[in-house]
Amino acid sequence: MRILLAEDDPDLSRQLKSSLQDAGYVVDHAPDGEEAHFLGDTEPYDCVILDLGLPKIDGVSVLERWRRDGKTTPVLILTARGAWSDKVSGFDAGADDYLTKPFHTEELLARLRALVRRAAGHAQPLLVCGGVRLDPRAARASVNGEPLRLTSLEYRLLHYMMLHQNRVISRTELVEHLYDQDFDRDSNTIEVFMGRLRKKIGTDRIETVRGLGYRLKPLHDEVSEI
Amino acid sequence: MKEADLASALHNLKRFFPALSHGRGSLAGRLIRLAAIWFIVSLILISAGLTAFFNYASVTRFQAGINDIVRNLYTHTEFDADGRIRIPELYNIRTDDIYSGLYWQIIELDNDDRVIGVHKSGSLVERSLDGPKKLDKMSGQAEFYNGIGPRRQPLRQTAVYLRIQNHNLLFIAGEDRSQLDRNVGQFALITGGALIVLALGSLVAIYLQVRIGLRPLFALTDELHDIRKGKTTRLHGTYPAEIAPVTEEVNKLLEYGQDVVERQRTHVGNLAHALKTPLSVLLATAGDNPDPLADTIRKQSALMKEQVDHHLRRARAAARAQNMGERTPVEPVLDELAVTLEQVFRDKDVTIDWRAPENLAFRGEKQDFQEIAGNLLENACIWCKGKIRVTASLSDEAQGMTLLIEDNGPGMPPERYGEVLKRGARLDESAPGSGLGLSIVDELVRAYGGKLSFDRSSLGGLKCVVILPANFIS
Repeated sequence: MRILLAEDDPDLSRQLKSSLQDAGYVVDHAPDGEEAHFLGDTEPYDCVILDLGLPKIDGVSVLERWRRDGKTTPVLILTARGAWSDKVSGFDAGADDYLTKPFHTEELLARLRALVRRAAGHAQPLLVCGGVRLDPRAARASVNGEPLRLTSLEYRLLHYMMLHQNRVISRTELVEHLYDQDFDRDSNTIEVFMGRLRKKIGTDRIETVRGLGYRLKPLHDEVSEI
Repeated sequence: MKEADLASALHNLKRFFPALSHGRGSLAGRLIRLAAIWFIVSLILISAGLTAFFNYASVTRFQAGINDIVRNLYTHTEFDADGRIRIPELYNIRTDDIYSGLYWQIIELDNDDRVIGVHKSGSLVERSLDGPKKLDKMSGQAEFYNGIGPRRQPLRQTAVYLRIQNHNLLFIAGEDRSQLDRNVGQFALITGGALIVLALGSLVAIYLQVRIGLRPLFALTDELHDIRKGKTTRLHGTYPAEIAPVTEEVNKLLEYGQDVVERQRTHVGNLAHALKTPLSVLLATAGDNPDPLADTIRKQSALMKEQVDHHLRRARAAARAQNMGERTPVEPVLDELAVTLEQVFRDKDVTIDWRAPENLAFRGEKQDFQEIAGNLLENACIWCKGKIRVTASLSDEAQGMTLLIEDNGPGMPPERYGEVLKRGARLDESAPGSGLGLSIVDELVRAYGGKLSFDRSSLGGLKCVVILPANFIS
């Protein structure tokens, strides 16, 4: 397991590096954003531990650049700023997990193990419908290369519609797929989620077929790659 | 006498309006009092002056009548060859009617001023007129003075001393002046009354003028009150040219104050965050070493972290007081939090089903709403068995938004509902989380005048009920 540790504090870096090595990881250390970006861009890491307050280029920018270039390496963000607004913007930039300083080394190791295990899941085929792409393995979706931020219910809905694209899917079918039996559903559940999904992937991509249900289709000027 | 009256009147004024002597009190009161004093003094002077002038003019006219009688008498009085006086007939019937009010009298005097003979009008009957108190015998000029008539009525009299054909004669005429005095009195009464009405009217006008004129000041007071209450951050109203410089300066002062607070807040924030990396180093150094020194480091680091978090919250609270009046749409915040938390708890496969009206907005800062909803949701994620339901709605009875966060975890016994809000309380020491989450939420919710309570959820676990100020936005 090869890990990139991007942290500017020399003492913390030394401590973490030795703890990670003790836990059996191979650790590369980058003391600033520039080097972190370069290493992450060129070396195949299994996971990255990224401090947000890096000199030269800040952590969020480094992460955004990797994600824009299509790097899917799991990234665990390390930061002193623990407010929810900071966490949300970290995940927005494409982080996979988040740890607030000060932290216990054991917790960092536990999170790291989970990230690596998750990333090593079985490969599944990428689903594509026009500009919409869905990666079931990483549970990630994107529209024209822009990563989508979906809740699990929205993701489930999109996943099901991607699997059955170009087919009209009834409301009942969608509700049954979306929820377990014990979740209580109100009548407009599907409308609520369709509304949110349309807002995120584009209104025209989901067609409402009156009386029958919904259909996901590529836009006219988009050609499906499969 | 009059000076003493004025002095005592001024003394009374000062007693009733202490502001006069101390220069304090309300501006409106001061303006009104000054105007009142000016009006009262000037109106007293005017009415006194007018009455005096009217009196003078009336008396002058009045005197002309008696003067005519005296002149008639002395012009036509003669002595015959025997030295007997011959008094002319006066064609005024009133001088013959008994006590008619118009009288004359001629007194003959010898060279030593002894009375030799008295001749008088029929109206006097057997009474006589008083002579003048002093008389300039040489001038030959008429002397005017007041006297008492035969029926005790006040008289205006005139007297002239003349030598006619070697006889010393004193001519006196007098007329009842009570009608004149009544007229003057009536004039004074009417003038005084009219001026009092004018004064009262003017005072009402001045009062209204002052209240209306000072209205911008009252508006300014209201706006400043709103600023102190946190409803607004600066003065927005348009003010007259005299007050505009004040409001400009106040706004600059407020901006300066906000700047200072903002700088302090940033400073505190930076300091607090800067401490976290060294704390991480300390914790990493201590590791899971059983050494007592390592244990001390772990405990002290935890205390320091709590302190740092506490002061960060204080700094946030200071910033919050600076800008109320913000609106945070609820839907995007819940969406972001749901996406983020599902990702954080991916291994647990948590599903967050959230519902919120699209146009619902929290009346407060986004960061605060994120903290409230984020901490409650995180708690729910920690305890749930995969399912979380979030419902935000605007309710009339709560006068705001009701945010329900429910999970299907083990829940919590009702007797512990109050306990978990205490700072640092943790239901289960082994569960992750700082244990500060709920007390932070409670603190924040209270700061917004809201309420956090707990109940049992139909999903099986805990239901957090948060009431927050909110409204619909278009």
